Amino acid sequence: MAVLELNQVTKSFGEGHKKVEAMKKTEFKAEKGELIAVIGPSGSGKSTFLTVAGGLQTPTSGEVIINNQNITKLTEKKRSNIRLQEIGFILQSSNLVPFLTVDNQMRLLDKVKKGNMTKEELEQLYNDLGIYDLKQKYPSDLSGGERQRVAIAKSLYSNPSILLADEPTASLDSDRAYEVMELLQTETKNKNTTTIVVTHDTRLIDYCDKVFKMTDGVLALQ
Amino acid sequence: MFLAWNEIKKNKLRFVLITGVLMLVSYLVFFLSGLANGLESLNREAVDKWDATGIVLTEESDKSMPQSSMTIEVADSIDANEIAIIGQLNAVATSAENKANVAIFGIEEDSFIMPEVTEGESFSNENEVIASDTLLEEGFKLGDELKLSSTDEVLKIVGFTESARFNAAPVLYAHLSTFQRVKFGEAAEENENQINAAVIRTDDLSKVTIDDDFELIETETFIENLPGYTEQSLTLTFMIYFLFVISSVIVAIFLYVLTVQKISMFGVMKAQGISNRYLANSVVAQTFILAAIGVVVGFGLTWLTGAFLPAAVPVAFDLVTMVIYGLVLIAVAIVGAVFSVWTIVKIDPLKAIGG
Repeated sequence: MAVLELNQVTKSFGEGHKKVEAMKKTEFKAEKGELIAVIGPSGSGKSTFLTVAGGLQTPTSGEVIINNQNITKLTEKKRSNIRLQEIGFILQSSNLVPFLTVDNQMRLLDKVKKGNMTKEELEQLYNDLGIYDLKQKYPSDLSGGERQRVAIAKSLYSNPSILLADEPTASLDSDRAYEVMELLQTETKNKNTTTIVVTHDTRLIDYCDKVFKMTDGVLALQ
Repeated sequence: MFLAWNEIKKNKLRFVLITGVLMLVSYLVFFLSGLANGLESLNREAVDKWDATGIVLTEESDKSMPQSSMTIEVADSIDANEIAIIGQLNAVATSAENKANVAIFGIEEDSFIMPEVTEGESFSNENEVIASDTLLEEGFKLGDELKLSSTDEVLKIVGFTESARFNAAPVLYAHLSTFQRVKFGEAAEENENQINAAVIRTDDLSKVTIDDDFELIETETFIENLPGYTEQSLTLTFMIYFLFVISSVIVAIFLYVLTVQKISMFGVMKAQGISNRYLANSVVAQTFILAAIGVVVGFGLTWLTGAFLPAAVPVAFDLVTMVIYGLVLIAVAIVGAVFSVWTIVKIDPLKAIGG
């Protein structure tokens, strides 16, 4: 059963001769336990694909189905709740709250939703990501790479059924990047979730089950 | 609350600054309310002491007791539960060491406007008076002989009573006959029926009927028409209301600037699915914390200042009024936070994360 499904989805911006088709008619399916890479040059529509799939914007036509629920017609409030319950985002820009310590970033999620990781699981995750000693630090005290790892911890902490990552390894050195990909791979298999990584770093595709390529708004399986 | 408090903890300085401003505003509000209250008491204390429903004055006096003049017979003809007649005049009283503006109330000993004596005893002989304890604070003593500006009569203080000032002048309560001697001198006997007004206490003021030449007004209306009373209290009330607006605007500007700085952060949180409601509650909770701390500290400072003020400053703090004003200050601060809530609701998570 598909966890995430895009049927005949298109997304265009603007009107008339200024119209830009960021996503041409797209069919996409992701199953449980799959780690999928979407690669492509910048401006090819990768980010549009990710935000439409994640319910951050509605498609111009077609439908997006998450866990059997068609989210295309839902109100922003309901989509917001689906994002909270089902989706974990790892964004290009660090998605940390500047005035919360690493530990409190996780506690914030406890305040707004249930079903997050247990304390033991979280400590294990901190260890896997090598950020255990940073628990009490604020984002401003962390390096770019550390912030990115905390952001990854945060998105995994809520046990999402779909993890959407936009260039998750952008600010990491090669060794760390591979470690992060290994971690995403393990998490995907162990928790039987779906992870979609949007990247231009072709070295990462070895970790992925499927690789799609986005060129000028057209998504194609490699 | 979680977000609100953690942010305050992390960014202490900026929140201390805004709390400081709110503290100063609330200090000023509390102090002005004390001043308004003090000035009002200065004028109305003696009237409040009557605990009366209304007062009958002559029509042509324009609600001013010194200008009103009637006879005891008129007062006797009024049909009300309780009636107390009163003669009033202003004078300057001089003792051996002190001098003060006073209002002399000529009353009957057995009427309901007879004050409770807190020190000394009641008047029983000619020219004996009960004085407002304000005079005690000014240095007058029991047994002091008072020369008056308008007559040769000499009055003697035999007792004191609490809170008895009328239109800023301490009151001397005397028997009606003493009052008449002071007012009319040798013609006192011919004028023994002359009084200024009749104070009445009744269940239903509308049932009391009086002649056309006279006017029956409620006690509160009478007070409002005391010279300068309404002008003073309106001015101060206006200042207080204006401060409410100012504090609301200060909070609005401050929180708005903070919110605009955090737009991308809020966008990211919204992208993660944290609801507008949670974020809005957080901003409101933060405002509440800041305003509450500011108001409580302001309250404390006001109290402290009050304790060290010289008696000449007419400040009288009324706890109920202060609590109400404090709550209003917190409420208007929260109204100021509405702009920020609105801004947060409008943030498009997509734009904020640069997608």
